[in-house]
Amino acid sequence: MRKVAIAGVGYSGVGRNTGLSERHHAAQSALAALADSGISAKDVDGVATWGGDATDFAHMLGFGPQKWFLTVGVAPAFISPAMHAWMAVATGQADTVVAWRIMMQQPSSAAMASGSTGSMMAGMSDYHYNMAFGNFSPTVWAGLMMNRYMHETGATEEDFAKFAVIQRDYASRNPDALLRDPLTAEEYLAKPYINKPLRILDCDYPCDSGSAVIFTTEERARDLKQPVVLVETASHATIHNMNFETLPDMVRTSPVQAAENLWSHTSIKPSDVDTAQLYDGFSFITMNWLEALGLCEPLGAPEFVRNGGTTLNGKVPTNTDGGAINVGRRHGANFCIESVRQLRGQSTSQVKDAEVAVWANAVGPFAGAMLLTKG
Amino acid sequence: MLPHVDASNDFFWNGAQEHKLVLLCCESCGHFVHLPRPVCSNCQSMKLSGKQLSGKATLYSYTVANKAFHPYYVDKIPYLIATVELVEQPDLMLQTNLVDVDEKDLKFDMELEVDFRPLGDSFLVPVFKPAGGAK
Repeated sequence: MRKVAIAGVGYSGVGRNTGLSERHHAAQSALAALADSGISAKDVDGVATWGGDATDFAHMLGFGPQKWFLTVGVAPAFISPAMHAWMAVATGQADTVVAWRIMMQQPSSAAMASGSTGSMMAGMSDYHYNMAFGNFSPTVWAGLMMNRYMHETGATEEDFAKFAVIQRDYASRNPDALLRDPLTAEEYLAKPYINKPLRILDCDYPCDSGSAVIFTTEERARDLKQPVVLVETASHATIHNMNFETLPDMVRTSPVQAAENLWSHTSIKPSDVDTAQLYDGFSFITMNWLEALGLCEPLGAPEFVRNGGTTLNGKVPTNTDGGAINVGRRHGANFCIESVRQLRGQSTSQVKDAEVAVWANAVGPFAGAMLLTKG
Repeated sequence: MLPHVDASNDFFWNGAQEHKLVLLCCESCGHFVHLPRPVCSNCQSMKLSGKQLSGKATLYSYTVANKAFHPYYVDKIPYLIATVELVEQPDLMLQTNLVDVDEKDLKFDMELEVDFRPLGDSFLVPVFKPAGGAK
């Protein structure tokens, strides 16, 4: 296996209902990542995406013949194209791979309730077992999982308010964030429930987004523009079908297995992690990952957050870009990009001397994580 | 809103119209398989058929549907969606609604029993309520 580096990162013009197509977001984010790295379009020889079509993107951007390509289906967010891109370079199938997550804004509850648009989950396998019980949104499984998590951990709504306030504080310094105004715990608690105990500020912020990350060999990365960031290892896990609602244990799900797999591939230990960027499609997922990765005690994440463990001066500064609740739904890619920025020394909430970063995506049926080091 | 009833799930939905909770069960080892699949995850047999359950369960988790995501539910919010564990088999989970109970009276792991209520005009779906009518 060849040692792999992340040489470039880039976003499209991310925003609410941008009016731009998937292709626009793919092109903008790829061009930003190429410019960030100093790699030319002709040097790309592999592509992977979730959102749009990898072959279409490669042709559109004039990358030339590709040695390797993948269009990902339903997967644990950006970790899927990222992990596959890493493996393609590591095994020599390609030398320089662009990995994307392109995601268009999904319909609001108001639009769905008016009948003017389809449901988010229509067409998914087993959907009629959701629909017949009034379940039309992923916020339902999030409400179920969060409620059980609160029951087992003793977490309170105030703990989730604290989590939201800490993330917004990070976001307030990040020009990429869509939500940057200061937030108080009282403001969080005054927001409506979507699926009690889940409130609107426990959910990632819907938007159109394009994110691109370029993987290449360590050797090549050493001649490029940016400080070198290396992939130490990565992992995947799946434990269940896509029906989150029938998970028999909603507190210890696939992040547990993905974390075990991750640590089994490396001599780096949880105590070596300088910063963690952990999926917050729903807020409790970050807490699940803190526990699964061994960054705090099992069932101890609410207390860890309460005691400031995730803040910039805490034990493990976490989601230092503000998380997807504030930077918008970039579906896990922001956690990869923020990890890279931390290890380069380019974060807007920089962790001093950061040398090891872990980022992780998804929860429930499937999940994955990647460990990065300063080169 | 109404489920699409076909050969892969008719035992469940047709059972509900007869006030029966019916899940797919392996004819070889007796393992219940839900959601329905053509193979038993316990013994890999492909001979499975519908079997009636007792309708007894415990409350694993629940959430309040505070917002409507479908026109039918605009005048029905808030309502309760739950995951229950059926007593016949560890980890045999079913997504359902809770009825005849206030949110404030719910307790994790409390005992529940099945009932059947109409979705729309007359199509019955299996829902759960506190066992023995307890509040």
